[in-house]
Amino acid sequence: MIDESELIEHVKHQRWYGAKSRDVAHAQVVDSVALRTADPQYALALAELRYDTGAHDIYQLLFPEEETFGVARELVSAMRSGLTLQGDEGIVEFRPVQGFAGLGRELIDARDVGAEQSNTSVVFDDELILKVFRRLEPGINPELEVLRFLTEHDFPNIAALGGWYSYSGGPLAATLGILQEYVRGGLDGWELALDELAEDPERFLSRLHRLGEVTGEMHRVLASDQSDPAFCPETPSVEALGLLTATVDEEIERVFLALPDDDENVSPIAGRGEEVRDLLRQMTHAGAAGQFIRTHGDYHLGQTMWAGDDWVILDFEGEPARSLAERRRKRSALRDVAGMLRSFAYAASAVSLLRGTDPPENWEEQARARFLEGYVDTVDPSLLPAGHAAIDRLLSVFELEKAVYELQYELDNRPEWVGIPVRGIQRLLEETNTPA
Amino acid sequence: MSEQWFERDPLWFKRAVFYEVHIRGFFDGNDDGAGDFRGLIEKLDYLQWLGVDCIWLLPMYPSPLRDGGYDIADFFGIHPDYGTVDNFKEFVEQAHQRGIRVIADLVMNHTSADHPWFQESRTDPTGPRGDWYVWADTDEAYKDARVIFVDTEPSNWTFDPVRGQYYWHRFFSHQPDLNYDNPDVQEAMLNVLRFWLDLGIDGFRLDAVPYLYEREGTNGENLSETHEYLRRVRAEVDARYPDRVLLAEANQWPADVVQYFGDGDECHMAFHFPVMPRMFMAARREDAAPIYEILDSTPAIPGNCQWGLFLRNHDELTLEMVTDDERDYMYAEYAKDPRMKLNLGIRRRLAPLLDGSRDDIELLHAIMFSLPGSPVLYYGDEIAMGDNVYLGDRDGVRTPMQWTGDRNAGFSRADWAQLYLQPLMDPVYGYQAVNVEAQLRSPTSFLRWLHRFIALRKEHPVFGLGTYEPLGSDNPRIFAHIRRWEEDVILCVHNLARSAQPVQLDLSRYAGMVPEEMFGRTSFPPIGELPYLLTLAPRGFFWFRLRQQA
Repeated sequence: MIDESELIEHVKHQRWYGAKSRDVAHAQVVDSVALRTADPQYALALAELRYDTGAHDIYQLLFPEEETFGVARELVSAMRSGLTLQGDEGIVEFRPVQGFAGLGRELIDARDVGAEQSNTSVVFDDELILKVFRRLEPGINPELEVLRFLTEHDFPNIAALGGWYSYSGGPLAATLGILQEYVRGGLDGWELALDELAEDPERFLSRLHRLGEVTGEMHRVLASDQSDPAFCPETPSVEALGLLTATVDEEIERVFLALPDDDENVSPIAGRGEEVRDLLRQMTHAGAAGQFIRTHGDYHLGQTMWAGDDWVILDFEGEPARSLAERRRKRSALRDVAGMLRSFAYAASAVSLLRGTDPPENWEEQARARFLEGYVDTVDPSLLPAGHAAIDRLLSVFELEKAVYELQYELDNRPEWVGIPVRGIQRLLEETNTPA
Repeated sequence: MSEQWFERDPLWFKRAVFYEVHIRGFFDGNDDGAGDFRGLIEKLDYLQWLGVDCIWLLPMYPSPLRDGGYDIADFFGIHPDYGTVDNFKEFVEQAHQRGIRVIADLVMNHTSADHPWFQESRTDPTGPRGDWYVWADTDEAYKDARVIFVDTEPSNWTFDPVRGQYYWHRFFSHQPDLNYDNPDVQEAMLNVLRFWLDLGIDGFRLDAVPYLYEREGTNGENLSETHEYLRRVRAEVDARYPDRVLLAEANQWPADVVQYFGDGDECHMAFHFPVMPRMFMAARREDAAPIYEILDSTPAIPGNCQWGLFLRNHDELTLEMVTDDERDYMYAEYAKDPRMKLNLGIRRRLAPLLDGSRDDIELLHAIMFSLPGSPVLYYGDEIAMGDNVYLGDRDGVRTPMQWTGDRNAGFSRADWAQLYLQPLMDPVYGYQAVNVEAQLRSPTSFLRWLHRFIALRKEHPVFGLGTYEPLGSDNPRIFAHIRRWEEDVILCVHNLARSAQPVQLDLSRYAGMVPEEMFGRTSFPPIGELPYLLTLAPRGFFWFRLRQQA
């Protein structure tokens, strides 16, 4: 058996290991199952890492990690056969989706997908994609829960679910991974936006009405089943808006407290934390919030694909930094919409940063307008607050929440991108301060 | 599909923040003027936001409600005012999905006189339940057992004209004690526990456990037979129901209470009753000694056990576990109006007890949160709600939760007159001034402060799991101590005085480390060999994480 310090070193060097800034004090394998006993031997393990504060996380490990493709093949074949493997403390169940054609064929080529952080994904033959969840939390992963729901309710703009595997036993019950159809020849929505912004900005704009429609349809379907308590729409409680305000307000306070004094990218909003908080209070002072439903949860261009003739929506896992309970929470559909609007702002700036060309004037405005038009035409209006003013106000609240989150993220990870959320926050401040 | 929403975690309760809910007073989900499980489900998002790990429900069973539901008339049902067993199951499932556990009050010692068991026992003395209660021909036995509710009960015996005998009751005369010498009673109560555990409940707060047995020549409290039965209950829970908790209500001195932990084989938790009045006393006297002393006289407890700590709860601020002098002092300081007294205690909520002083409320929360144990919050105290001393018994601290400044405090859509109790309307604590909605929107409110404070505590398991080391100083107004768990070292310093205070602490064993204030993450000067000097604001406190110098 691997000893504790080896295990700690092993995990700390994995790309998907999320808590790089924390000191790991202890690590132990809490359960494991053999996936393949003949050579080469493959195994899957759940490891608990305890940090120096005494908090802990549970991660899924694959052995050997260097042979991810081999292990991944074994996982898919276990799904195909519907295996149940026994560990010391629980079982790993592999389950195929009945009638999923992609599982019938042999796997030949395997490759990874590059820029991933918290999970590990392997693409087989440009047909299938296996996603292995690394940091585990008890309960069903929303990726599996939402994909299954959308599949069962015939929402066409997704990559079909092919199977999944999960653990249940003493330590916890958790989804370990999913297998999905791979959208062959699909163009990543984010890359497509940058490419077309550089070459033919109008072309991309022309696709956004449809993206709005697909988004509206997604929300309509997510809210369509009154009989499923995990999905049925809810009328928010009277303090729902207050809880939202409090949460966003604390986020603003935290981020602005730690804002660097000497970063000129930040200067347009430096020292304006109180102004931003006032703005939030103004926007949430009163008003309805519509219905609360299950949402995508982490919606932006990078979660979409253009599949030649239509959009496909991917990755229903929610924001990885949030707890599973939070990611499963019902919220206003407008939170997804705001995420996408922020993504347009990112695209408009990223094209200068990454491709060296400036977007046409008002491109972002047009992108927003076209997307919203398609969305509002399609979405079930009873999910939204009544009236354009109320919708705009709630959208601004979520855009502010998102921009503040981005600001923290960019300060921590990509200082040269800080200007994007700064402009977003500045825009919201100025829009509201200018009398209409 | 039944999901498991928690990791295996047999010690979860040691890191948990508990929240005590009076179902009737929380939120009315069916517009009949009283709170219920449907209403409670609607407010789960709020409790999740607040950071609550475990909800403790006051009694939810069918009851004539002559003692706030502690007079149970059916152990296997839900009081119709609150809903149905299905509503309860739905509530537990919804709470679990949000990462919140649920424990419920359970009275082991007695039933309501309306309970069919008692009715059968009194009418059929030779029948199968004839001796399920403690019957006697005279009221002579067990004279050494004190009367607890001195305001209402002249004796622990009451004559029943139906059976023509006296029955034993340690509390109200309408609450006859069960006879635990009867093995059928022992088994029947185990069945009650199994019933709720099978429905998914995460444990029980066991009401009035010290009194299960009676023996001549004893005070009838903490008897070895009682402990033996609790060990049996625990063994049953451990064998079949992992990660559940038994929380003992034993209003006793620490040395007696620790017996309810056994060797880690009785209750998982017990309330630390004596520390509570001493926190108030220390604040009033501006002297840390009462807190240091009671903690010094608190024995160590098994590693798998935990103290429950609270400032206020649904009962009176009980003064059973203080000396007579201390009680007189507490009455004089905290119950100036005789209406505020009840039995041996003061029936007031936290905020009015502290004259509404925000500094005092924050300081006492800081002290409670810093001590070894799990804090138990009482509904409404997170918005510093007030009380109504003109209402009878304990109703004064059980008024409706104040959600908004709207009609009925946002608690119910029923007619005002239909409410089980009217919400407070006085200018200081009334619902138009004190409510959740307003405090959520005000960044400087107590609710928002407490929310951040709970989040901070939960980032550091040391508060639930760590050691406690008192730290003496040259200033008797300062309560300072160190908590340690694994590599986490926390220094807590609280100023009990109403004036600013300096303090010099001997931290030489941590020389070279840097205190980082935990709220603002500001680094203070490194610790050297000399006494460490701090200056605290009136009723102020500092929590530091001691870090190795970078």
